[in-house]
Amino acid sequence: MTLLECRNVGMKFGGAAALTAVSISAEAGVITGLIGPNGAGKTTMFNCITGLLEPTSGEVMLDGADITKLAPFRRARLGVARTFQRLELFTSLSVRDNIRVAGEIRSRWSKDKGKSDTQAEAEHIIELLGLSGLADRDVAEIPTGMARRVEMGRALMTRPRILLLDEPASGQDEQETEEFGELLLHVRDEGTAILLVEHDVSLVMKVCSFIQVLDFGCLIASGSPAEIQTNPAVLEAYLGEDHSA
Amino acid sequence: MQDFLAYTVLGLCLGSVYAIAATGLVVTYSTSGVFNIAHGAVATMSALFYWQLRFDWHAPAPIAIFLTVCVFAPLLGLVLEVVVMRGLRGTSEVTRLVTPVAVLLGINGAATWIWFRSSNRALVPKKFFGESNVKVLGQAVYYHQIIGVLLSIVIAGALYVLLYRTRLGVTMRATVDDRSLLMLNGGRPDRVSMASWAIGASLAGLAGVLLSPQLGALQVFALTLLVFDAYPAAVAGRLRSVPLTYVGAMVLGLSKLYFDWISDAGQRWLVLRNLRNAIPALLLFGALLLLPQDRLRGAIVTRTRERFRVPTMREAVLWGGVLVAAMAMLQSIMSGSAVISLANGVALSLMALSLVLLTGYAGEINLAVFTFAGVAVIAAWQFDVGPTGLATQKSLSVGAVLLAMCVCSLVGGLIALPALRLRGLYLGLATFAFGIIVYQLVILQTQPLHFNIFGGKFTVNLFTNGSLTVPRPHWFGINFAGQRAFLMLMTVLFAVLGIGIIAIRRSAYGRMIVAMKDSPAACATLGLNLTRLKLGVFMVSSAIAGLAGLMWAAERRTLPNNADFDGFQSLLLFMIAVVGGIGYVSGAFIAGIFLSVLSVVMPDVFDKLGSDYPSLHWLFVTVLGNFSHYVGPALVGIGLGKNPSGIAQQIMDGFRPLKKAPGATAIWVAAIVVLWAATWRGAVSNWHFSLISVGSLFIVPRIIMSVFEDRFAEEERAVAGEDLDLIGIDRAFRSSDRQVLDTALGLPAGPSGGVE
Ligand SMILES: Nc1ncnc2c1ncn2[C@@H]1O[C@H](COP(=O)(O)OP(=O)(O)OP(=O)(O)O)[C@@H](O)[C@H]1O
Ligand SMILES: [Mg+2]
Repeated sequence: MTLLECRNVGMKFGGAAALTAVSISAEAGVITGLIGPNGAGKTTMFNCITGLLEPTSGEVMLDGADITKLAPFRRARLGVARTFQRLELFTSLSVRDNIRVAGEIRSRWSKDKGKSDTQAEAEHIIELLGLSGLADRDVAEIPTGMARRVEMGRALMTRPRILLLDEPASGQDEQETEEFGELLLHVRDEGTAILLVEHDVSLVMKVCSFIQVLDFGCLIASGSPAEIQTNPAVLEAYLGEDHSA
Repeated sequence: MQDFLAYTVLGLCLGSVYAIAATGLVVTYSTSGVFNIAHGAVATMSALFYWQLRFDWHAPAPIAIFLTVCVFAPLLGLVLEVVVMRGLRGTSEVTRLVTPVAVLLGINGAATWIWFRSSNRALVPKKFFGESNVKVLGQAVYYHQIIGVLLSIVIAGALYVLLYRTRLGVTMRATVDDRSLLMLNGGRPDRVSMASWAIGASLAGLAGVLLSPQLGALQVFALTLLVFDAYPAAVAGRLRSVPLTYVGAMVLGLSKLYFDWISDAGQRWLVLRNLRNAIPALLLFGALLLLPQDRLRGAIVTRTRERFRVPTMREAVLWGGVLVAAMAMLQSIMSGSAVISLANGVALSLMALSLVLLTGYAGEINLAVFTFAGVAVIAAWQFDVGPTGLATQKSLSVGAVLLAMCVCSLVGGLIALPALRLRGLYLGLATFAFGIIVYQLVILQTQPLHFNIFGGKFTVNLFTNGSLTVPRPHWFGINFAGQRAFLMLMTVLFAVLGIGIIAIRRSAYGRMIVAMKDSPAACATLGLNLTRLKLGVFMVSSAIAGLAGLMWAAERRTLPNNADFDGFQSLLLFMIAVVGGIGYVSGAFIAGIFLSVLSVVMPDVFDKLGSDYPSLHWLFVTVLGNFSHYVGPALVGIGLGKNPSGIAQQIMDGFRPLKKAPGATAIWVAAIVVLWAATWRGAVSNWHFSLISVGSLFIVPRIIMSVFEDRFAEEERAVAGEDLDLIGIDRAFRSSDRQVLDTALGLPAGPSGGVE
């Protein structure tokens, strides 16, 4: 089932087009990859999906409903959560409180108010993300890789239907990335769809069942990991013209 | 028709001078990202300097104008840039807003000190070429005004070319966006920044000289306010566009003059008499609301240097108790006049407390705190007014207090509503404009307003007779009319409210508002409705401000309507609250006491010293006393760039050693209590008591540090041994870091073993 669908989304900054009629989608229950070289428009796409930017053209559909004009907080309440490439942590709060406050925000709007125990849930997520040792630290002083996990934990606290991750593995070392891949699969198995932007190609190839590739604001390819790996357009975009010659 | 043309001509003349002032603001903002609120003060200082040269020392006009506009004002701008504004990099929006406020108050304080300290002589500037004029479209226009128009055209044109057509200009505009990028490209941001501040100040100076004849006799704050009138024009240009600013300035000038036209120079509608003075503020408010909406912002500065700790509830209650106990002990040995200063300070602390919630926690700004005090007083006054009003009441009733809080909360919600999407500087300006509007249209209004609603007649009494008298409470069977009792009431109120605010901060609600401050974008993507949250915070903090304002008014007893509401007091309080430590309840307390001490107590102390030692009178009274009175508060604000987390934080850091030596600390506290008892019995004078106890505050932590050196050395070592990765890289690289790195990399230790 298609959970998230972007139809012909275009975004212009002044005269420069960051996205030109891009149509991408994400299925429920799987991890979908969104890759592309620097400046391809991946983060811009995320901003259009979450409502931080209003696309200049096109529609964003969630589960068949048009959410293009909705305020960011309404989209979040419909089940769209994200992390940020440029970290947006709550720097005045500890790691634990960053995650906890997300649950508290959720309990303000979610219908199953009161029933959930945010504190216990936060502890569970901290455990799950391997942040137990850092829980009482200021988020400002933990390493970037861990900070990205905090952002992910925060997003998970809203119990999203789809989670948008913007380069979550950057700043994590090889072994941490390995664990992180397992974690993504676990989250997926719990029923959360994931749209993953990531430069670590091996991670993407490992966890994604479907991959879409952006370059210069256009969708240039989509398919299974195996197809993408051999797609000439993708190779050209990543390796430059030398390769195609 | 003839009138219309005449007023149009005059409006354009006025607009031209506004344009000069406003483009100056645009130059500094578009290159440094600092909105120089002190622009008006630079203009004032320059106008006074010009007056000094031209009319006191009788220098020829061209020389005087050259020295003022091309030497004095630019130098002032340069000094500001180098000494103050440079320190603001990497600080929060609040700090970047407050520091220019401090500069404003400092310059104005200095100007008052230099020119208006004692003599009552009137400083009267004249127009260039006196009263010579020509007829334009039937309207006599002074040469002075024509000069203004011509200069404004030349300046706007020159700036346009400079900013948009030259390499330097492009560099200047790039500086604000990304300094480091500019440096990588070989730009010299420091020089560019200095140049822009010099140009901006020079334009302020010119505008000041051109505007000053309007006033008749020069007055520091009146002239500053006159230049403030130009600010909406800069906002209309989004602080960046010279052409839009120019248009905005013309609209401003014309609106003022057209108002004169249709209102018969203010004679037609008496209730709206002050509307003319409120026009710039109204336009500012309007311009801010109509500005294209910014998208949700993420954290602009990824790491600001401010960081506030949150006390536990136990600590909060403990310190609240300590505060009340210490105050009770202190007031019992203080003289009556000292109690008055202290009560004044605590009243201001209460007002500052509303800012801890609003600004310290939620990151929103209110530059009109005193306006809420005024609104609270008017609201309380309506409660059981009777034929003679509140003044004849023996006690401030609880009902009146509740009404005042409700009204303030509603008013807070009302300004917050349109201003909700504004942030930082723009929100600050909007609240400031709101304060001016209320001041001109409501607080200065002396006639009662009569309303006919639903057939019933309502009368709203404002500041009838130009002042209101607020009685003190008589609650829980205790009469708080006496100075000491009222001081204790306010102290207890502060402790209770402070504990309440800390409780809010530690609750889920508190975490949400802090999260909203840190990253609105992230909050929205978690499903938080920012609008509602902000509205709530504004309303709660306005209610606190109302309560505090009422206490402050009751402390004063009689409140004139023209002293504290013109905006500067609110600016000063906001600034001092930030200096005290806007993220701390203790910061609010320090702020109020500090303000009272610096502007009242220190001058008194120096006065006493001056009369005790007549031969040093000039040093104590003329220099030190005046200094602490006029520029003291501003100076501490200017120092903010160095320590943006405020005094409260510094004090806490200073006293940290005490925690490690509880025994010694207990002895010290006991010694002070004994000293207090001796003072109370009259064995020690309270002068000596304060000298010894205040002195010990500074000395004892040092002594403990040196006596228990070994305990602290351990701590340092622990820090040095920390995992580098976990520290992150938000501080300079130290040699100890290198050792850690070396060890981690398995390199041989020692100075020669490092990697180069
Ligand atoms: N707010 C903005 N204003 C102007 N241009 C922008 C803005 N945001 C992004 N762009 C431009 O849009 C293009 C796409 O940027 P985007 O950040 O979406 O790329 P990305 O695929 O996320 O790249 P990366 O892998 O480096 O994160 C870039 O050329 C960028 O310069
Ligand atoms: Mg990106």
